[in-house]
Amino acid sequence: MNNMNTQKISQFVRSKAFLVIVGCFAILALVPLFITDNFFLTLLTLIIIFSIYASSWNLLASSGQGSLGHAVFLGIGGFASAMIGGSIATALAALSGLDRLPIGVASVTLQVLVMILGGLISAGLGLLIGLACVRLKAWYLAMVTFGFSVIVESVSSQLDFLTHGIDGFAPATLVPKGYPFYILVTASAFASILIMYLIMNKFRLGLAFRAIHGNEAEAKMIGINTAKYKLIAFVISTFFAGMAGSLYVYFIRYVDNSIFAPANSFAPLIMAVIGGLGTVIGPIIGAGILISVQQLLALPSVSEGLHGALGGFFPGIADVGPPLSLIIIGVILVLIVIFMPKGVISLYDKFNSSGEREKKKAPEEKKK
Amino acid sequence: MDISTIILTLVWGVAIGCVYILLATGLNIIFGVMKLVNFAHGQLLMIGAYLTWTLTVTFGLNAYLAIVFTMPIVAVLGIAVERLTFRRILGTDKLNEIFISLGLIYIFENVALLIWGDRSKQIISPFNNMILDLSSISITYDRVVAVVVVVLALVAFGLLIKKTKIGLAMQATSQKDTAAQLMGVNIEKIYMITFALGAALAACAGGLYGIIFSFNYQIGAMPTIIGFAIIILGGLGSIKGAIVGGLLYGIAEQLATLFLGGIWGSAVAFALLIVVLIVRPKGIFGVKGE
Repeated sequence: MNNMNTQKISQFVRSKAFLVIVGCFAILALVPLFITDNFFLTLLTLIIIFSIYASSWNLLASSGQGSLGHAVFLGIGGFASAMIGGSIATALAALSGLDRLPIGVASVTLQVLVMILGGLISAGLGLLIGLACVRLKAWYLAMVTFGFSVIVESVSSQLDFLTHGIDGFAPATLVPKGYPFYILVTASAFASILIMYLIMNKFRLGLAFRAIHGNEAEAKMIGINTAKYKLIAFVISTFFAGMAGSLYVYFIRYVDNSIFAPANSFAPLIMAVIGGLGTVIGPIIGAGILISVQQLLALPSVSEGLHGALGGFFPGIADVGPPLSLIIIGVILVLIVIFMPKGVISLYDKFNSSGEREKKKAPEEKKK
Repeated sequence: MDISTIILTLVWGVAIGCVYILLATGLNIIFGVMKLVNFAHGQLLMIGAYLTWTLTVTFGLNAYLAIVFTMPIVAVLGIAVERLTFRRILGTDKLNEIFISLGLIYIFENVALLIWGDRSKQIISPFNNMILDLSSISITYDRVVAVVVVVLALVAFGLLIKKTKIGLAMQATSQKDTAAQLMGVNIEKIYMITFALGAALAACAGGLYGIIFSFNYQIGAMPTIIGFAIIILGGLGSIKGAIVGGLLYGIAEQLATLFLGGIWGSAVAFALLIVVLIVRPKGIFGVKGE
């Protein structure tokens, strides 16, 4: 098994798909060097962080499990890594007799470590919640995961000594913001999305996930231990969600219990569905669309323009931008589900295969 | 803590439970007849509350009369939602219902935010600040009236289901849609009526909710989840179960709030729901092997 996997990986490294992925991320890493706009960099960083998050949700969905409470794992990963990173940084600084940990090799290593640690803690919780959820299906699972997020949100607001409740706190600065942090985010996204791609498309694990998604009873019948594989999907997915949470918290430099809000649970689902469920690129496209719509309509210049144009119609609200962006996202989601159930990515497939299909059709028609 | 506080809490729990029962009943018939889960049902409640508020403020209507006018408006909205979205995905992957509902939640909440603004509102009823005094316990008239309205609505609903031809057709469709179709039931029409009925019940619940509590554009989410919790506690498809579940839930929530503090009310309720679902994945009275 192990030997086979290594063989598969080496085969994959020499394949075209791998080159495409590497190329994409290399371009992504270099883009901010040419477009040095602050807003653009923020936008790109957020999109990439949420790509990891949406991909993690997508991996869970590929095993037939739809979670409506993924914000729990985003939040736990964020909180845990912010708290651990903060205390280790102060301890290290105290050891070397400094006020705070200077930015350097040590702090960058610490950042990467707490990111992985955040993912592991989140995966630990994911294992527990997953154990409770493996028997549930469709909207029962959606309800229970949503319920967990509501409980975690209200409980975390009560644990002031641990989470600082509603006030929140700022994590220590380990990697300077701007381009250095962007590189960290891009590298993490490259590694995690590549791993998720391999799991879903190249390993037998992904095959089992797809079998369970297709028909759980049949999968069980052909000898797949469905409970085990569903649990594995839960753990892997929550690990990457926690990692994304860690990056998110260190990027926005603030964490409070609003990270558990339902909007954060719904976001990865919407991204994956808009982009294309079950594909690797889909969630990334979805994250790009969703974050762009939200950030563009929240821009001060855009929001002022909107207020000038529409403010007269809606006197009850100061800023028209955010609700308008959410309405747009809602409409896009509904339209996609009805008219393009395979997501935006299916446009590419249609475009690509229409030429081939015509070629195939032609000889058949001749026979007639 | 004296006994009258506990009795008062129980009475409050019953009043609040009644509002949830209405919502849960709507969800329940939609699920029973169409096998469809509408996660955006609570947003219809929210729209109902806002429309009732608008009717009382702009036209000076009696709040309870306003609810009567709100119900058909929201029913039409429900029909539009069913026609334009849910009908198109019936029979596809079950997850699609959740996706569509989420889109609808985003649309409804933010349209309401644009129209009615972000300040909390409360509907002023003619019985505002009037208190029913029973020696040691005193409760507001509005909560008593809410219970009466819910009982009336449920009785009317029960008669509709049990005594009319449409009700019969709905029951037939819920048992087996293809068989009902073969017997000459226009199931698309039945789906439409079912959704409209569910929406009207949600609007009624919304009006009562807006009289008892202050509300804003975000109140829809919790009642939906609570509605599902009630349905699962009471048993899918059973109206009696929904009534029992609703009362139990209302009382449990109020007791948790009384003993543990406001923020724990929903957490305790969810813990209950999760335990029930994990022990019995299809609900307490759920049918096996669906």
